[in-house]
Amino acid sequence: MGKTITEKILSRVTGSDVSAGDIIYPEPELLTVHDWYVVNFDKALQELGVERLYNPDILVISTDHEPVAVSPQAAERQKLVREIVKKYGIKNFFDTGRGGHGHVFPVEMGFVKPGMFVEAYDVHVTNFGAVGALAIPVLIEITEVLACGSVWLRTPDTVRVNLTGALSPGTSIRDVAQKLICDLGAARVDYAVVEFGGPALASIDIAGRHILCNTPIEVGVKSALIEPDQSTLDYLAGRVDGPIELIASDPDAVFREVIDYDLDVMEPQVAVPPTPDCVVGVSEVAGRPVHHAFIGSCAAANLSDLQQAAAILRGHKIHPDVRFIITPGTQEIMAAAEDEGLLRLFAEAGAMITQPGCGPCAGGRIGGMANGETSINTGTRNDYGRLGAPDADIYLGSSATVMASAVAGKITDPREFLS
Amino acid sequence: MNWIYKGKCWKFGDNLGIDGDVMPLRFALERELDPAVLSPYLMAGVDPEFPNKVSPGDIIVAGKRFGQGNPHIQGFLGIVGHGLGLVAESIPRGSFRNAINAGLPFLTGCDGVTGDVETGDDLEINFETGEFVNLSRDITRQFQPLDSQLQAIIEAGGWHANLENRIAKLRSGESAMT
Repeated sequence: MGKTITEKILSRVTGSDVSAGDIIYPEPELLTVHDWYVVNFDKALQELGVERLYNPDILVISTDHEPVAVSPQAAERQKLVREIVKKYGIKNFFDTGRGGHGHVFPVEMGFVKPGMFVEAYDVHVTNFGAVGALAIPVLIEITEVLACGSVWLRTPDTVRVNLTGALSPGTSIRDVAQKLICDLGAARVDYAVVEFGGPALASIDIAGRHILCNTPIEVGVKSALIEPDQSTLDYLAGRVDGPIELIASDPDAVFREVIDYDLDVMEPQVAVPPTPDCVVGVSEVAGRPVHHAFIGSCAAANLSDLQQAAAILRGHKIHPDVRFIITPGTQEIMAAAEDEGLLRLFAEAGAMITQPGCGPCAGGRIGGMANGETSINTGTRNDYGRLGAPDADIYLGSSATVMASAVAGKITDPREFLS
Repeated sequence: MNWIYKGKCWKFGDNLGIDGDVMPLRFALERELDPAVLSPYLMAGVDPEFPNKVSPGDIIVAGKRFGQGNPHIQGFLGIVGHGLGLVAESIPRGSFRNAINAGLPFLTGCDGVTGDVETGDDLEINFETGEFVNLSRDITRQFQPLDSQLQAIIEAGGWHANLENRIAKLRSGESAMT
């Protein structure tokens, strides 16, 4: 019987014939942990008497959740993280100012290859599916992976999404991704890997593929990945050492469901409180005043997000009632934005530009909200309290929709700026 | 380990929430992991007297989506604290993982099992083989037992104990796959 990409990857890393439903102990080839869990795993390992990591060379640690220490406690934690990294001999440590967002720079720097198996302490590691890797979040059990090399996994089955059609003018992949998770719903994809392919995939760049792989985790998938193709090879050339092999599901692979999904979602899409899958057309919420807006997070971390925003912003200023934050995903993206004159454009229009990383999306530790305020942003989630204040409304949209809204001071259809 | 539980049935319906119904949410927020602390509050949201009524070896028989909600482990540790077993029509995947990691013997995917029992029936369940017997009503059913690798974690006493075993095996140079 044929296999899905997921079954092939897990068969390879376990050296056995793996099918959906099998309980396995696969060893990841790459493991990532962010700055807010390093002290915790160190404490857990100490309590277990573990002094050496099973494989420190596959571990990537990034200071992305709180790259700029804005409290004495944060500065102390950063110091501890640096000591722990040295203690375990972890070579791939990307401290503040070095890498950027831990779900973005490892792809950019060539740590992630098609067909690779990855685990991480953070749910949005599914971004690595953008280049055809299978990346699975592991939470407190990451201690077991660090100490023993693996933790049990029930092999997920796959929902195949074949993308068709083309984007309608003024919309982007973020709009498609938001509408897709709304249309799919949690029950259909629970514990599945969402595998994207189909005729429209060739039209979507790596930045768009990051977004497609980022949003499904909000409705309870196990992971998401793209069937890698020529665009993947073109992107990875010069980034990855050694040969790169493409991987695809067999024609007779067994899927939970195969879905055709048209990129033409008609109008920009906005997620309304309280969850990312409560999605409506922008026309339904246009006009609502906003106080806070930001572009960034692992759901909108790439240069193209800044470019889409700049296309709206040029010739305008941020609305006087709005504070607007830009968080480039990585150091490389920030430098590229400088080369294109984008940082100057944002700065002169009244934006705050932060250190690359998660930005406000990591709990609102930087640039958070007050009670009674409304934000529109490109973050991953809009639960109450996500940006600090428990009684603040958060709307999610594309970089273009967020930028248009920050200029107008109210939720706004970005197509008004493009006509 | 004794996989055969012989005791009274305690029947519950569908959609019991892990937070609130099975265990007060505050214990999850406090990250309390001691079964002895948690067990006096088991089922506090649906039957506050429950901890005083049950005996080790009794079996909770529940409907669909037992333990739904944010996957917190405390409710399952509370069940372990009483020495109870669990048979459910379904358990959402986050809670499925927690039930394993709590070291709780259970069966899931037991379609229609709530139709075969009433509270107070005498049950005999073999959690290793999946054999389910309602002695009071003379009903025998065969359910799918858990994968043997997951049974090994339960046998070890749950995630933490199993992890300690794996670490010890690694130190002695043995394979530490389970």
